[in-house]
Amino acid sequence: MGMKGNGSNHECSRERVKGEEEAAAELLLCREPIRIMSKGEVDYVHARGGFSFDSCRRNEMLLNKGLKPSSFLKTGTTIVGLIFQDGVILGADTRATEGPIVADKNCEKIHYMAPNIYCCGAGTAADTEAVTDTISSHLKLHRYHTARESRVVTALTLLKSHLFRYQGHVSAALVLGGVDVTGPHLHTIYPHGSTDSLPFATMGSGSLAAMAVFESKYHEGLSRDEGVKLVCEAICSGIFNDLGSGSNVDICVITKGQKEYLRNHLLPNPRTYISSKGYSFSKKT
Amino acid sequence: MGDSQYSFSLTTFSPSGKLVQIEHALTAVGSGQTSLGIKVIPVIAAANGVVIATEKKLPSILVDETSVQKIQILTPNIGVVYSGMGPDSRVLVRKSRKQAEQYQRLYKEPIPVTQLVRETAAVMQEFTQSGGVRPFGVSLLVAGYDDKGPQLYQVDPSGSYFSWKASAMGKNVSNAKAFLEKRYTDDMELDDAVHTAILTLKEGVLTPAEIEDYLQEVE
Repeated sequence: MGMKGNGSNHECSRERVKGEEEAAAELLLCREPIRIMSKGEVDYVHARGGFSFDSCRRNEMLLNKGLKPSSFLKTGTTIVGLIFQDGVILGADTRATEGPIVADKNCEKIHYMAPNIYCCGAGTAADTEAVTDTISSHLKLHRYHTARESRVVTALTLLKSHLFRYQGHVSAALVLGGVDVTGPHLHTIYPHGSTDSLPFATMGSGSLAAMAVFESKYHEGLSRDEGVKLVCEAICSGIFNDLGSGSNVDICVITKGQKEYLRNHLLPNPRTYISSKGYSFSKKT
Repeated sequence: MGDSQYSFSLTTFSPSGKLVQIEHALTAVGSGQTSLGIKVIPVIAAANGVVIATEKKLPSILVDETSVQKIQILTPNIGVVYSGMGPDSRVLVRKSRKQAEQYQRLYKEPIPVTQLVRETAAVMQEFTQSGGVRPFGVSLLVAGYDDKGPQLYQVDPSGSYFSWKASAMGKNVSNAKAFLEKRYTDDMELDDAVHTAILTLKEGVLTPAEIEDYLQEVE
């Protein structure tokens, strides 16, 4: 189970529930001033502070009436990272799945944490987005207060503490990489809050396919081009051999004092359209 | 807010209708080091901006001047300078930074200058009406640039804020303001503004004897 939204924050999930339950489903999924429907009347309840349990009661009521809850958008991802001679390269595919359906053909899985730190996210999309956003804010305030560049271990500790506190309910599996004053770093973070520090790492449903590529071809002292090529190969291995991964390859190269975010670096699955003018159908067909 | 023993506000009205604590806070500001700001809006929109400057007078030559930073950044396009009690300004800067970041996270847009000023002013006002706390002993000059152009705001210990074209606070504020009134023109350039700011600090603030000292040191 898991959910993934795309790069921009959508408040409402794109769930389509048929029939008269459609309106109720939208209520369930959209975050707006809480509308309580009772006997055809609509009331607006404004939050007073503290946690408001009104939605929980309403959701329970709807579930009792037989409404199916929305299915989560799972990433089914291939995310990788490796350390090369000048820094870190992160790679990710761009497919977001909702069960057997591809929900987003070109989503962004490499999230910004700090100018010198990026984080790939697998698992529930909303969780990875929210967690990386939150910790990115923390790091920004920390930078203002200390007047220093953020360190990868700081991001790591903030992330793992957050995930541990939620005991694995925040389903976010992350590959965190960056270059700071102490050098290049690459870490993996699991949803329960454990971490690893590795020279090359893969996560997500396509991790085995990608790891196979890394294990056979990785060596220390890779150059930038060799590293990017290896990361592309690993992601492509995930894209072609794992159903949950697909579409394009995103790359992020981080070196000391510089970062390159190569969005859609490789497009191994181009869409071929038959006619750019669109289709015309004769009437009554 | 405040100690449980002091659930009543320490800032209370005097019979004449004034909040004496705030008046005293303004006195504390008035004895702080001078700071000033100048807004620049020439015809060429690309060349506009805000200049803020302050006197960095250290109590002794032994103080490590690199550790003292009076002008602070709140967001990439908003900065602040203060007159009055340094430690109080630190608290406000910290709170403002957090509020700006929260706004950005919620609305995914950089916080407009007016919003940040309003929220900072709200904090300052809170401390004049809560139990067991005293008003802040600082006035802030918030300088920022957003889609409405360059902006300069002064926030007082009472929580009131004003938008200025040019303003000064702290010691010798009357001299400095008089100098600014004379020198300020609507079609100033940014370099002119920087120059004027430095001149104002030197002439409005330093006595002729001190100017002599500086000149001697330079030579």
